[in-house]
Amino acid sequence: MAFVQVVQGILLVTGCLFFAIGTLGLFRFSDTLLRIHALTKVDNLGLGFIILALVLNAASLAIGVKVLLIWVVALAASATSAHLIARAARLQQGDDSEPKGSHD
Amino acid sequence: MKTVATILGRVILLLLVWWAFTEGDVSGLGFGLVIAILVAAVSMRLYPRGAARIRPVQLWLFVLFFLGRSVVAGIDVARRVLSPSLPVDPGYFTVHLTLPEGSPRWLLANALSLMPGTLSVSLDGPRLELHCLDTQSSVEEDVRAAEQKVARVFGLPLPDETCHSEGAR
Repeated sequence: MAFVQVVQGILLVTGCLFFAIGTLGLFRFSDTLLRIHALTKVDNLGLGFIILALVLNAASLAIGVKVLLIWVVALAASATSAHLIARAARLQQGDDSEPKGSHD
Repeated sequence: MKTVATILGRVILLLLVWWAFTEGDVSGLGFGLVIAILVAAVSMRLYPRGAARIRPVQLWLFVLFFLGRSVVAGIDVARRVLSPSLPVDPGYFTVHLTLPEGSPRWLLANALSLMPGTLSVSLDGPRLELHCLDTQSSVEEDVRAAEQKVARVFGLPLPDETCHSEGAR
């Protein structure tokens, strides 16, 4: 039991660290699209660690499935909203103003 | 007959979701059954039975592939954020998908957003525009690998290697 709790603790701290790094990315990156990269990918991993920690502690199979379902839905929502914001940012940028750093 | 099987499959799937929502409580099952049937009926209108069937084994393989890649993606971005020099080389990249319209394309576009270095910006017919964190990395190969996995999930013939793509602008 104590072993599970230690593993859970490590997973929770790792998850929070990734959330913190994702938020740091929001400040460090200068461009909307780069910020979305940081938020979607890093936060998804952070949520994954936290979900994993909670699943270890699930009282029943149904609760475990419910927690996993939360992750799946959050993943779909984050991918979809990332796509929509990226598209809006791209449209705003316009096709004439060449984005900095793009080549090829 | 096949439509009945599809509806039945969807009702069972929704009941499983309901079971998870109510944390295994049996008292709400009757209400859940009504909701599941209604939602299945609506889903048949919104997402009619497509030609492509989902292969369960391939779907699980795709899930494993996706999980592995998304962990790599998270660590990759975290590494770049934490590195003092902020090593990014952003740019746009356009690929022409060989997957058919509908769910396969959407699954690929959304999955790519959570995979290393890529973010789907716009999907216009077969033309998928990606934003890349690092244009020096092998974006093209990554996209093609993911595309093949998605094709297998839907039991579609694998996209041929000769299809062309272009680096955008």
